Amino acid sequence: MPNSRIIPRWLVAVVTGGALLAGAVQAQAKPPECIAPAKPGGGYDLTCRLAANGLQEAKLIDEPMMVSYMPGGIGAVAYNHLTGVRDDDPNLIVAASTGAALNLALGKFGQQHKVDDVRWLGALGVDYGAVVVRKDAPWNNLDELMKAMKKDPSSVVIGAGGTIGSQDWMKAALMAKADDVDPRKLRYVSFEGGGEALAALLGEHIQVFTGDLAELKPQLDSGEIRILAALSEERMGGPYADIPTAKEQGYDVEWPIWRGYYMGPNVSDEAYQQWADRLRELNDTDSFKKLREGRGLFPMSKFGDDFHQYVKKQVADFEQLAKEVGLTQ
Amino acid sequence: MFDFLIQGFGVALTPLNLGLAFLGALLGTLFGALPGIGPINGIAILMPLAYTLGLPAESALILLAGIYTGSEYGGRMSSILLNVPGDAGAVMTTLDGHPLAKKGLAGPALGLSAVSSFIGATVAIVGLTLFAPLLAVVAVKFGPAEFFALMIFAFASMSAMMGKDPLKTLIGAVLGVLISTVGVDSGTGVLRFTFDMPELYDGIDFVVMIIGLFAVSEILLMLEHAFRHDQDGEMAPVGRVMVKLSEVMFCKWAILRSSVIGFVIGVLPGTGASVASAVAYTTEKRISDRDNTFGTGDMRGLAAPEAANNASAAGSFVPMLTLGIPGSGTTAILLGALMLYNINPGPMMFREQPVVVGGLIASLYIGNVMLLLLNLPLAGVFARVLQVPRWILVPSVAILAFVGVYQLHSDLMAIYLMLVIGVFGYLLRKFGFSLAPVVLGFVLGGLMEENLRRALSISGGDVAILFQSGLSIGLWIAAALVVLVPMFAGKLKAKFLPAGK
Amino acid sequence: MKLAADRVLSLLLLGLAAFVAVQAWQLQVPFSYDPLGPKAVPLMLAGLLAILAVVLFVRPGASGEWPTGALLLRLVFTMAVLGFYAALFINLGFLVTTALVSIVIAWLFGATPLKAVVGGLLLALGSYLLFTYGLGISLPTGSWIEPLLGSD
Repeated sequence: MPNSRIIPRWLVAVVTGGALLAGAVQAQAKPPECIAPAKPGGGYDLTCRLAANGLQEAKLIDEPMMVSYMPGGIGAVAYNHLTGVRDDDPNLIVAASTGAALNLALGKFGQQHKVDDVRWLGALGVDYGAVVVRKDAPWNNLDELMKAMKKDPSSVVIGAGGTIGSQDWMKAALMAKADDVDPRKLRYVSFEGGGEALAALLGEHIQVFTGDLAELKPQLDSGEIRILAALSEERMGGPYADIPTAKEQGYDVEWPIWRGYYMGPNVSDEAYQQWADRLRELNDTDSFKKLREGRGLFPMSKFGDDFHQYVKKQVADFEQLAKEVGLTQ
Repeated sequence: MFDFLIQGFGVALTPLNLGLAFLGALLGTLFGALPGIGPINGIAILMPLAYTLGLPAESALILLAGIYTGSEYGGRMSSILLNVPGDAGAVMTTLDGHPLAKKGLAGPALGLSAVSSFIGATVAIVGLTLFAPLLAVVAVKFGPAEFFALMIFAFASMSAMMGKDPLKTLIGAVLGVLISTVGVDSGTGVLRFTFDMPELYDGIDFVVMIIGLFAVSEILLMLEHAFRHDQDGEMAPVGRVMVKLSEVMFCKWAILRSSVIGFVIGVLPGTGASVASAVAYTTEKRISDRDNTFGTGDMRGLAAPEAANNASAAGSFVPMLTLGIPGSGTTAILLGALMLYNINPGPMMFREQPVVVGGLIASLYIGNVMLLLLNLPLAGVFARVLQVPRWILVPSVAILAFVGVYQLHSDLMAIYLMLVIGVFGYLLRKFGFSLAPVVLGFVLGGLMEENLRRALSISGGDVAILFQSGLSIGLWIAAALVVLVPMFAGKLKAKFLPAGK
Repeated sequence: MKLAADRVLSLLLLGLAAFVAVQAWQLQVPFSYDPLGPKAVPLMLAGLLAILAVVLFVRPGASGEWPTGALLLRLVFTMAVLGFYAALFINLGFLVTTALVSIVIAWLFGATPLKAVVGGLLLALGSYLLFTYGLGISLPTGSWIEPLLGSD
């Protein structure tokens, strides 16, 4: 075997090469990371990218933020991961939204998981629920729709992008409850995401869509749809100035959909504070304001402990609501 | 009227955008060729890059759309060469593609699929250019009742695949549908068959399913063949590399029919390349498989799903560009990319963003030509994968399977699940099942149940809603014909031609 | 023995059908807007599966060739290797596990030990380079490396 001496040398080269490479990779400081607890392309992906692109443009981080995906359990897999595996990673944030708070309240993250199991970091924006109909719908305002629904709940076909117990359903159920209609008596159809529900509205398969305000801007601009009510505290500005809130029409329903982040439970106060400050600073930059607007979000300034308390209260409220609408005992 | 397109070609033909289209095509082919990576991940990976480089919106979109269409081309490679589908749209390609490779026709098979992909995509892009706004109006008419009828039609055309063992085809399909019921029930939010494992709440991921079912079971089967030194595992030596014109002409009707089917299904929001290629394959088998050669390496059985999955990829741009509604998982992430650029795709986009829309459509034309030119010569190179010795090939398949699933889930449970499904797939194959009905049951079954229940919640339980529109009635009739005509035709044939053929 | 395989399968499928039916029956549904609810389809599928399984029991097909002895052992071993790959993928890191697993699989597929080792190492390194630098996919480096390099 004349070649037998060459091969060990190859081996040596390969092994050292591998070791060097592994070293080189590791020698770099770990880049900040954002986990989107869903598949690529969804709302959580965009929430991560909002932070990643914003922080980078504002030069608040040295290295580009990595976005990774951890789909499963409508966010429960990532929640588990943060409370169990990477519970003290100072460079890791996870995207969350009102939906996560709702799932926590409904025990969908597992009964053992509570809101205090992670450190809620802050929100970079908020959208609001909206009651949407086609341009040729018979109802001119929310009151007319609600009267029709009160008379015969099954005469109005409502559709949205979520199952019973989801955010979209909660909007419909709360509207019904505001007028003393039993949410169980509604005629409600759940679709796979808001896009499909919107298509069903345009195709006249459903009559009312409980969607999100800013997401509907393109269809609103084109005049295909009308928004009967915004589920916000007060009227939004700009292109939405003409849309009355549900509250001012006599139905006390609000549904903010915040987009924010949480960190592991054992992250040091120092790291947590640093991230909260970073987001707060980002929130005020001009470049970020543009980015947020493009993403269709309204400002929401809650960071650090402020935000943690906010989420905590929201989860408690949701637990109460879930009982009231008959979702849990 | 077509100002936006002329403007678009002006945009797409700048050197930067041409280069990006080429880069997208190349990377897309690569991403698609690696099982499990696929277009969604490809775009997710490159989206931040496009943003970081500061590319303008239309350039970023050209790059990302190139990856999308490119990966539909690439997805077929591992289907044909390894019997492992690269992505959702490539499952049906394994049925005749891999037998062709076994016959030593890997090169021509890859070439033919490139040509079919090209034609399918071109038909669809022309359709997109000419009819997009019109089609969008029709697409939304497709409601839950119509989708249910479409799924009935798809299952009915599956009867064409019954082949030699109808019983096991049926059992396979039922098992597939059963697997699709795992996870949060989309109607009531109730957890079904999740056994308190949050990893199962969202259902079993399609990629985990096909990688497990095909790739892992293939590793075990290859081990058996290697151990027994039997014929089954043997590949004929790679012969000719180029596809012949006569072979393409042989498939021309299959390609054209499937292009139209693929485009139409692609336009419907909520169905994608997997449904398109399944319907195209089964329809084509019904129409032209007179000698029962489908499934044994019939060129038409390869051309049909390939034309359809590319056509559907282009078709799914229609609802995205005209309604702002994603037609598939991949257009959903493209939509997200646009939102980062402060562009909201929707009804106004053709008017407000002619440069972006025109540039995108023009780049689809250009990218498609590039993909054909890129993939024809690559066929010869990739066909050589078959000459790689088993002891290198098999670990490579394992690595790809693991990286694909890990990249998608960042979670070990998904990998374990893939392995369990792999053993399941191996057992099925040992029991003489074909995997295609299982996958079809999985894909179609979920859509069927969801849409049936949606339709019934709209009507408040009245079954009449299923037969109310012309579209759904037409689909029901087509479904009946697909099942009845061959039965009837068989009887007639037996009556008048008792001597056999 | 000749007809056994399909009959065994048939019994397994019956068991599965029963399991599915019981599980579906026990679902707690607070309320549902459609008349079918989440139970109907699984129950129907279980019924269909049971019928098909009975037909299969009555008319089983050929049994095919099943692995026994040394081959069965190898198959089980291969799955164990893949399970090991999964279990250590994150903690040991991509490079190390991939190299080890590739070496073992290459050896299982008849490579000489030397070929297997070289091939496995090259595969691990090559695929790492391809994924990390070529395609921008991040792979686990392994938690054991961090203390070794003293990085924080």
